[in-house]
Amino acid sequence: MQAYKEVVVKTPLPLRILPYLSVAVFLLIWELAVRTGMIPSVLLAPPSQVFSLFIDKLTQPNPDGAVLAVHAWTSLQEALIGYGLSLLVGIPLGLAMGWFRVVEGLARPIFELIRPIPPIAWIPLTVFWFGIGLAGKVFIIWIAGIVPCVINSYVGVRMTQPTLIQMARTYGANDWQIFCGLCVPSALPMVFGALQIALAYCWTNLVGAELLAANTGLGYLITMGGRLARPDIVVLGMVSVGVSGAVLGFIIDCIEKRLLAGIRR
Amino acid sequence: MSRAIANETVGISGGREGFSFYRCITNTWFLYCVSLSVFFLVWDRVAAWRIFGDSLAQPLVVLDKLYELTQIRFAGTNLGGHIWASTRRVLIGFSLASAIAVPLGLCMALNRYTNAVVKPVFDLFKPMPPIAWVSISILWFGVGEFSKIFIIAIGTFVPCLLNSYNGVRLVEPELYDVIRVLGGKRKDEIIEVCFPASFPAIFAGLQISLSVAWTCLLAAELMNARDGMGFLIKRGMDTYQPALVLGGMILIALMAWLSSLAITLIERRLCPWKTGIENL
Repeated sequence: MQAYKEVVVKTPLPLRILPYLSVAVFLLIWELAVRTGMIPSVLLAPPSQVFSLFIDKLTQPNPDGAVLAVHAWTSLQEALIGYGLSLLVGIPLGLAMGWFRVVEGLARPIFELIRPIPPIAWIPLTVFWFGIGLAGKVFIIWIAGIVPCVINSYVGVRMTQPTLIQMARTYGANDWQIFCGLCVPSALPMVFGALQIALAYCWTNLVGAELLAANTGLGYLITMGGRLARPDIVVLGMVSVGVSGAVLGFIIDCIEKRLLAGIRR
Repeated sequence: MSRAIANETVGISGGREGFSFYRCITNTWFLYCVSLSVFFLVWDRVAAWRIFGDSLAQPLVVLDKLYELTQIRFAGTNLGGHIWASTRRVLIGFSLASAIAVPLGLCMALNRYTNAVVKPVFDLFKPMPPIAWVSISILWFGVGEFSKIFIIAIGTFVPCLLNSYNGVRLVEPELYDVIRVLGGKRKDEIIEVCFPASFPAIFAGLQISLSVAWTCLLAAELMNARDGMGFLIKRGMDTYQPALVLGGMILIALMAWLSSLAITLIERRLCPWKTGIENL
């Protein structure tokens, strides 16, 4: 005998159809607006044309000098290296800033000075320092990603339950033991929150870095599209940046779910 | 976010004890001073010893450059004019976007049908970085003022909408129960519970979108502009003047910081019930 009855939550039919309908209508209006000439085709490319260009770009390096996969791979490489470095530096720094007063006193003012500068403002300096190669872009992405990492891990440590800390003290734990055994684990959910935010920041600033100084990459694809007045290339670039960003975010989300399976949020 | 801050971690300096050298050098303000002076000293020395060649200016040279710009007309206007040109773009774009996005987000959270229509289309645009719109907005609106405002508006729209949407959805269900027990209607629920409870989230969204707005502004102005702080940076880049680049960076950081401070102050006036971590 079944001890429970399965609860079926019914969403009304319109609510299930509407999302698909609205996307379909949106694409249809876009397509029609361009096809009928309401929006001139030099300004916007219809979705069908973007799609056929996408198929072409998988094999054709013209007119911007590389196939789509090469652009995507360049961007991915830069983003992931910068992202990894910013996690590597930002999270330990933030954790330490949350617990050790000396570290906070030393690092906080510099951090507060750097924080309000939009990462793409560093582009000219990085071009001076590193040229337009990989290193410069990685630097910009690193700067972009480090801010949310530091803030989130700092706040995570700060939000540790005071009762637990007091208990640990009562049992005779020293500072370092409390930090490793208590503050770091309890900051983990916040730290993982930072992974997503930092990824979004990195991805945004990657495009910025590539718009200005690059010779391959998805951002470069967009710039070239603009320069050649080819709206289909621009839209294709935007869509591929969006899609690959979303895929990366999804992967991080899955990893996060696996690692944090037992932790209550 | 209403948990108490660990009182251990808030630096309590202890009672009135005798002078101790160790406590003196670990005093927070002392450490702040040390860190800042080391930072500026290193910057100054690195620039003076030309570790990066000519491409880093000493802090004082940068200040000098900024002062010089207030005196002369650079590309048609002096420093104040450049700052105002940028600020005006941010203000227009930001207020346009937030005026549309915040109500739309509230509507989406309150009405399932609006949500079902708008959310999927919004989700299509959400993962696109705002900077990716730079090229197409130049294509659409030319290089004038409107294309810059458009990018800023696009960039600020997403966080505004997301936060007001989530702000309403994450309202604690107990609050609804309370208002229902007290005999409130749906209207009371919305006005008395949803709006006040989602205020902090909306302001957090405004805060985020403001910083996005400055980034977008910079991207737009770096691509092409005839005035504004991004123009100063770009001109510094083209003519290889690190002092001008650094000056522009400092200015834009200052303005971003000031505007976020303004939002914080307004927030404190408008919703004093906000709880959370005030630090950082």
